[in-house]
Amino acid sequence: MSESTQTDHSGGGHISTAWKMGLSALERFGVVIAFIALFTYNAITQPETFLKPENLRNLLNQNADIGVIAVGMTLVIIAGGIDLSVGAVMAFGAAVGLITMNALFEGSMNETLAVMIGLGTGIALGAACGLLNGLLVTIGRIPAFIVTLAGLIGFRSVTLAIAEGGEIRAAYGLTALQTLGRGGLEIPGVLDYYEQPVIFYWNILIFFAVVIAGQLLLGRTRLGRHFIAVGSNEVAARYSGIAVNRVRTWSYVLVGACAGIAALMSLMRMNSVSSSGVGHLAELDAIAAVVIGGTAMTGGRGRVWGTMLGVLILIMISNMLTLADVEVYWQGFVKGVIIILAVLIQRGKAN
Amino acid sequence: MLEIRNITKQFPAVRALDGVSLDIAAGEVHGVIGENGAGKSTLMKILAGIQPPDQGSLTLDGIPYQPRNVNDASRVGVVMIHQELNLVDDLSVAENILLGREPRRFGLIQLGRMRTEAARLLEEIGANIDPRTRVGDLPVAQQQLVEITKALSQKTSVLILDEPTAVLSERETTLLFKLVRRLKERGVAIVYISHLLPEVLDLCDRISVLRDGRLVAETTPAESDADRLASLMVGRDLVDVYPPLVPPSIDTSRLSIRDLSVPGHASKITFDVAPGEIVGLAGLVGSGRTEIAEAIVGLRAISGGEVRLDGDAVRFRSPKQALERGVAYVSEDRKGRGILVDLSCVENTTLPNLSAYGRLVPDRRRERAATADWIKRLDIRCPDPRSPIRTLSGGNQQKFAVASRLDARPTVLLLDEPTRGVDVGAKRELYHLIAGLARDGLACVLISSELPELLGLCHRIAVMRQGRLAGVVDGPTASEESIMRLAAGVGEEAA
Repeated sequence: MSESTQTDHSGGGHISTAWKMGLSALERFGVVIAFIALFTYNAITQPETFLKPENLRNLLNQNADIGVIAVGMTLVIIAGGIDLSVGAVMAFGAAVGLITMNALFEGSMNETLAVMIGLGTGIALGAACGLLNGLLVTIGRIPAFIVTLAGLIGFRSVTLAIAEGGEIRAAYGLTALQTLGRGGLEIPGVLDYYEQPVIFYWNILIFFAVVIAGQLLLGRTRLGRHFIAVGSNEVAARYSGIAVNRVRTWSYVLVGACAGIAALMSLMRMNSVSSSGVGHLAELDAIAAVVIGGTAMTGGRGRVWGTMLGVLILIMISNMLTLADVEVYWQGFVKGVIIILAVLIQRGKAN
Repeated sequence: MLEIRNITKQFPAVRALDGVSLDIAAGEVHGVIGENGAGKSTLMKILAGIQPPDQGSLTLDGIPYQPRNVNDASRVGVVMIHQELNLVDDLSVAENILLGREPRRFGLIQLGRMRTEAARLLEEIGANIDPRTRVGDLPVAQQQLVEITKALSQKTSVLILDEPTAVLSERETTLLFKLVRRLKERGVAIVYISHLLPEVLDLCDRISVLRDGRLVAETTPAESDADRLASLMVGRDLVDVYPPLVPPSIDTSRLSIRDLSVPGHASKITFDVAPGEIVGLAGLVGSGRTEIAEAIVGLRAISGGEVRLDGDAVRFRSPKQALERGVAYVSEDRKGRGILVDLSCVENTTLPNLSAYGRLVPDRRRERAATADWIKRLDIRCPDPRSPIRTLSGGNQQKFAVASRLDARPTVLLLDEPTRGVDVGAKRELYHLIAGLARDGLACVLISSELPELLGLCHRIAVMRQGRLAGVVDGPTASEESIMRLAAGVGEEAA
């Protein structure tokens, strides 16, 4: 090998160092860049519609429940698991929650109290389903994929049976649920087309609250650190004195509770439960958001804020495609391509 | 046969290799030694085509050799056998040996021919392994033989062995050495990397010593001994490798093991450890030492006997419970069980004792302060405690593994092969660390396969043989021979 080629080699080394630094920034913050790019693109191409407060509000409102599930999914994936049953648990929780509040209301309980108890039941049921999943995975030693796949089929089936395959509606005269769904935070000075104040519904606020809670849990609490440790190397975590089974079970309880919260959000928004429609494919949308957000499917590494951006990116892509008159049938294809691209860009981090 | 000229490799932080030149001759066993981080592994990765050099050239039989990947290298006969084996656990021995070169007819694999071919190859190297066995079911030592068979079934001219004896027992090591010598007679050039100086002196024809990426010496066993090689590796003379032994002040027992039995691994083991005492556990690989330690901290089922802590009978169900009662265990498998490679040094240090930094929300400032404290106390070299622990050298990782267990303020410390894969300089530091901990009143159990370190550090040494306690000897007066006799069962009546 001659002198000149040797110099080339080392020169190439410097360039590749700079290139690598740029690439690693792209890996870490690619999701932020993608979010900003999509937002700007939408804002420029549809200045009249996209940036309107009520449009942003409606987009968020329609997807906030999936967003909450995605936060729970982030935690369970970081802890080295997966939960495919979330969509079915969400439907189950919503159905039982609505039936409970209907029964209490018709039993002449105070309307608000009945609704609160019904919503609480939904969350508690979600957490209970999560606990069952968690115990089957840890003590039953069945792979999470299998346990939660069975849950996906099983809980959906129970919901369909309860509703006889159809829809459960709020009892006649029960309006508090709907009122709650239309309520929220009025941001002063933000007006819609008719000069009326725009209300950011509770659902949207719940989504952001869950994101903040999830990020704090992961980054600042002992349980969050234990999720990362167990997902990173379960054996080493056990040798370090971590109660691995308890930690893993907690991750399923939390994702189940998130599905329960999503259930009450869908109740507030729809005022009814479609036993086949609620939470349909929610598990896949949630996993997609987690992956786009930069969480490793192998566990041990991830971030909740990334998942939030993943959710927002998926919302904007659907919105963009709808407004661009792309048939709804093709939207899934585009999402698929985005997911693959996200993983390709972030792959370098593992090395 | 293989000429290495002026190889240089620069990594972002360090120059791993700096103008290294070596000649490896056919029919020669060439030992390459050096401390961790001296550049051995990088050099071998370049030879095997895993990494390209930044500068310099390689020539094989007079032809320029520039492998871009492992396949390029093996096509011209350069094969490396890693510490981590490259076998498919779920395939049979025969399938592994002939992987990618299966005998076929009409596009279908001829299973019978594959088996007889594999059996022939195994017999040729003297390995007594059934080619139909699933590789995952074999002990590691036999897996290594399968890998060597695989390497030799191809046209191999240069064989690189990276720490091959790390996973082998004494008997298996002898077998491997026989095999290496036979390959040498067949004209294969063998590059042999090892930490263990006696075996390098025993096996190699020439020895090259690397230090900080440079070749500092090339010598032969005839003109060198272990002491000289060790000082060449570290670049200075090693003095006071072992700290002075201070007898324990209290002679009450802190940890008492009474007739402890672990199904399949150990039966009726009894020994005591006092505060301030270091008790060694010696024995061959597979004699049940690790299993005893794992049973004490609740990682294995106990079928009989008891563990007493300060006189109270205890039976822990998990390392968590053990740690809560002050019994800590540092595993021999550092990367698999001791530390979490992807977590930061701070996170690793505080993980076992995280509740002490806040019940729900750990105080990160206090975590960092505690880590800084341990870095100072154990003299750990760690430029940024918030970076992943995998960026550190093995010795420093090991110190963090120990620190993380000590952070929970245990009163009993079980150390399993704490100096495995650690270089000479770091070993000495670990010895002083362990002795210092004992002086501070910790009861220590030291499991080790290196007799000199047991003799140098321990007050008493319990020797195990095939799951039984063969005897307990006094550290200061015992000799390697007396321990080996017990461990191997020689002259049992006399002992």
